[in-house]
Amino acid sequence: MAIQLYLDRGTFVHRLHPTVKVIALFVMFWSVYWVDNPIALLPIGIFMLWVAQLTGSWRNFYRYRWYFIILVFTTTIVWLFFYRQGTPLINLPFVHVSRGSLVYGLGRGIKLAELLGASVLFLSTTRVEEFTVGLAKLGVSYRVGFAISLAFRLVPLFIDSAMTIVDAQKLRGYDFEKGGLFERMRRYVTVVIPVFMSALRRANNMAMALEARGFGLRNNPTTLIEYPVMPADVVAGLTLFAIATGYFLIYYTGYGAITPG
Amino acid sequence: MKTELQSAIAGTPADTALSVRDVTYTYPSEPGPALRALSLDQAHGEMIAIMGASGAGKSTLAKCLNRLVPEFEGGDFRGIVMIGKSRLDAMRICEAAAEVGMVFQDFEAQLFSTSVELEVAFAMEQVGMARGEMQARLRPALEAVGLAGFEHRDPTSLSGGEKQRLAIASVLALRPSIIVLDEPTTDLDPEGKAEVFALIAKLREQGFSLVVIEHESEELMRADRIILLHDGTIVADAPPAEVMTNFDLLEECGVHVPGLNRVLHLLGIGGHADSVDQAYEAIVRTFPRLRTFSPASPTALSKDPDPAGSGEPPLVEVTGLSFSYSENVHALKGIDLRIERGDFLAIVGQNGSGKTTLAKHIVGLLKPNEGRVMLEGRDRASLRAAETAREVAYVFQNPDHQISAATVWDEVAFGPRNFGFDKREIERRCAEVLEAVGLLDARDKDPFLLSKGERQRVAVASVLALRPRLLILDEPTTGLDHREQRRMMALVEDLNRSGIAIVMITHTPWLVAEYARRVVLIRKGRKLFDGTVAEFFAQDDLLAHSSFRAPEVTRLSRRFGALALTPQALADWIKERA
Repeated sequence: MAIQLYLDRGTFVHRLHPTVKVIALFVMFWSVYWVDNPIALLPIGIFMLWVAQLTGSWRNFYRYRWYFIILVFTTTIVWLFFYRQGTPLINLPFVHVSRGSLVYGLGRGIKLAELLGASVLFLSTTRVEEFTVGLAKLGVSYRVGFAISLAFRLVPLFIDSAMTIVDAQKLRGYDFEKGGLFERMRRYVTVVIPVFMSALRRANNMAMALEARGFGLRNNPTTLIEYPVMPADVVAGLTLFAIATGYFLIYYTGYGAITPG
Repeated sequence: MKTELQSAIAGTPADTALSVRDVTYTYPSEPGPALRALSLDQAHGEMIAIMGASGAGKSTLAKCLNRLVPEFEGGDFRGIVMIGKSRLDAMRICEAAAEVGMVFQDFEAQLFSTSVELEVAFAMEQVGMARGEMQARLRPALEAVGLAGFEHRDPTSLSGGEKQRLAIASVLALRPSIIVLDEPTTDLDPEGKAEVFALIAKLREQGFSLVVIEHESEELMRADRIILLHDGTIVADAPPAEVMTNFDLLEECGVHVPGLNRVLHLLGIGGHADSVDQAYEAIVRTFPRLRTFSPASPTALSKDPDPAGSGEPPLVEVTGLSFSYSENVHALKGIDLRIERGDFLAIVGQNGSGKTTLAKHIVGLLKPNEGRVMLEGRDRASLRAAETAREVAYVFQNPDHQISAATVWDEVAFGPRNFGFDKREIERRCAEVLEAVGLLDARDKDPFLLSKGERQRVAVASVLALRPRLLILDEPTTGLDHREQRRMMALVEDLNRSGIAIVMITHTPWLVAEYARRVVLIRKGRKLFDGTVAEFFAQDDLLAHSSFRAPEVTRLSRRFGALALTPQALADWIKERA
């Protein structure tokens, strides 16, 4: 199993300055944050898909396809229990099925899926080293930036480790598929301790190895790769600024909101 | 005290690369010291091997050499460590990195970058080296470890041996005075081990000062000195020929006695041999008649035959098994395999060859793309892994993947509780298996506070409590010292004698030679060999092709036209003929 998402494709997005890529991630989060309406969320979603096509990142989107589907589907369902506005389309106990609750739930689901999509896109086109450099250029301390970027790299490793631990418990007769939804979720608690211990050991070993390789000697380490600012970075920066402004305007003018109905 | 130490340091010879004086260290959570008044010197260009049982203080000593002890670990540190003429206690860990390069056992945890060149550059970037200088050092460092041309490869795509060589390149780039390698080959397959040891030999020839911590004694015969640690003190510091012939001391310290030396001892010749050739010459000098024995057509000095089939269906029958993790990664291709009751089978092959994937099919964690796996006549595909845990048990390579309870007792009781056994039955089973693995006294301890060897035994006990008919062990001795390995294997042998079939996935030739009765070799997802251990070790071409080496004793026996798997068997054979 590949433990990182970065795909070395060499497209112009891959070659953008790390700071621009970090800003791009921020702008995608920013845009998604301001609006709730699925229609309003559509342009940024299409933009992400276009960049995914451009950068050859489909493989990673395919890898996480179930997460996207589950996010949209379950969020839409869950909001039927909590969103009580609008005329009910059908009368059901506990559940409020109205045009408003469906649109609101779908909007929330798309929002979460787009946040995931932005992260996948960013990690597909940005090396962890670039992430650190990008954060440092934006004023984040090197140690903090490195820790954040390393965390992104470690998440897939921990998932891998958790899957092995689930297998190990299954092989001692522990049935994760027994009982209802909540019982099944409760049964996964047994995995927490080994995953936590395994993560601690790994983090400890990694911290030692980092220190032994001189990590922390300087607050501004040099870099092997030079990251010059190119015209494409300026164009990308302006485009991102336009997207961020556009989405703020959608929010400000009220077009991004959902009207109960 | 300080003054005495300082005057001792002042008298250090000019060619000393490393000087450790009166170092005593206690970990914060431990009542007693891990190192006790330890002193040693290393000359420039010298290679020192440090050996000893788990807990003897080897890794602690290594960490003292780059300030991880006490800066990272905390605790009480006394004494002085000098690198050349510089006192180490005046440096931070990151400053010491330029003087002492450290390579750890866990190669996954010491790679942080997304390409080989960035990995090598990491330490240089940290010390603030100019870009031009980094570029100038990059190529020689990669050439030194044989990874030139790999600059843009993702480190996670490298083999274990390549990853460890990359870790060495990344410390070489800083051009440290000393390189410390803390069990660098423990997690590697034979090919990876050979790569790393060849690199160590090359670095030694180039004049690097090396400190190598290892369990594998055969590979350290060419060190200048071997330092034997026992309970935090140095009990021997001498050339290999002297240390490796002191069997009583080695056994007391839990260190593997080299097989060749054992043979010479059993034959009454004594002395030390650091290669098969040397041992052969020593033997034929004493028993000239043996020179006439030809290496052709070896006679196997076989072990007990496999238990005869009882007429019942085999425990496991694998037919035409193929499996792919993705479209491009074919993990298994057309595997056929039978496992009978009472079998003791070793599955060998390089890392990534498909051994664990095969085992996961047997226990039901994976389902075949093609072919089928039958468990006592039933199609495995129709049975869930949790359902058959009482029939087929699997012990993971890393025991920490299994352990989840707060006490050893609860950990062992986990399986029987899942199957709803009553309290009395659970108590009976737990007591029985903890007794068998020698951990009954530790029943109330937190398993995570036990040693790796003990945790491994807890993992075995926790599956044995279900009384399986087949036990699959994935690298059961990785990370254990020799004494723990012997103890673990004695337990496995006893279980096999009691009727449990054993499948052992391993990279360790002597384990195969001494314990298994049958070997299956897998390479790139295909089964290349399935036969007795003697037949396996007689196939030179196959062994060379699969990067698996016979133990030195077996290779020595081949020179006489025999095929012995243990020192005792070879010595007896020679005595009979000489």
